[in-house]
Amino acid sequence: MSTGLRPDATELGDARRRVEALVAGLPGGRPGEQAFNEPWEIRAFAMAVAAYNNGQYEWSEFQLSLIESIRQWEQGGRDPDAEPWSYYEHWLTALETVLAGSGLLSESMLDERTKEVLATPRDASHQHAHRDPVAVDPPVR
Amino acid sequence: MSEHVRSQEEIAARVKALESILIDKGIMTTAAVDRLVEIYENEVGPQLGAKVVARAWKDPSFKERLIEDATKACAEFGISGLQGEDMVVVENTADVHNVIVCTLCSCYPWPVLGLPPNWYKEPAYRARIVKEPRRVLREDFGYDVPDSVEVRVWDSSSEMRYWVLPAPPEGTEGLSEDELASLVTRDSMIGVGPAASPVS
Repeated sequence: MSTGLRPDATELGDARRRVEALVAGLPGGRPGEQAFNEPWEIRAFAMAVAAYNNGQYEWSEFQLSLIESIRQWEQGGRDPDAEPWSYYEHWLTALETVLAGSGLLSESMLDERTKEVLATPRDASHQHAHRDPVAVDPPVR
Repeated sequence: MSEHVRSQEEIAARVKALESILIDKGIMTTAAVDRLVEIYENEVGPQLGAKVVARAWKDPSFKERLIEDATKACAEFGISGLQGEDMVVVENTADVHNVIVCTLCSCYPWPVLGLPPNWYKEPAYRARIVKEPRRVLREDFGYDVPDSVEVRVWDSSSEMRYWVLPAPPEGTEGLSEDELASLVTRDSMIGVGPAASPVS
């Protein structure tokens, strides 16, 4: 495929190995062991790696933050039915904590922005179902 | 960290908010995050599409139910809670080839197919597949749809997401559902390629 619409398989393989080397030492281990169930999980995962790649923190700082978040959850005596285990919620908490620690982010800033996201109505026209094809290329018989 | 137990929607909004703040601050770009997501995109979500297709190939009455009401038929595979996002399956036949797109963003039936590939989200694909579908299929995906076959492009929205029921390849009549499922590729359910042929 020469047009560049699709990624190169070798590049992806290399990128994957680099990421996996990074996360190998974390509780929960490689991402495949803590499967992604929701799109936000892969997004949070990727952001933590991207921020690290951008030099925002040492990987060990993130690692410690993740361990701490999990530890607090385990010791909190939570009701597992009300608050089921969500690995990537800890991941998100760890990321927020490390970024807040370096002064990049405040919880109130994030709370504000989150409220904005939740309040944004879905694009009115984009919500409508399109019941007919948007384009038809007829046969040549 | 609040004590309130958050819903998936609330967490997703928080992740989106965080990403927007970090991009505003120049800490990362959407493209950089997309590239990382791409590594694992095949592992997100139930991705039961191949199993659904295999069942449809083997069981004509299931296939009818799938075409009639895909959301309800997929519920037979345990997919629930689509939150008002209906799915519609369009069937490829000898006369019609279907391909899907979301012209406005990247709506995609992710509970069934997993995450959309990055190219699906790119403006290049979204515009060109509508304007010149045959050419894009041939030049970008190496998939030559015969001129005698009609090509239909379906535009997914947040309310209604399309995906393609590919035609069963030649020589698959005797295979089991598991064997059939292994032939169903994600690209064939988007409509940019055929299902794989069995290795004889």
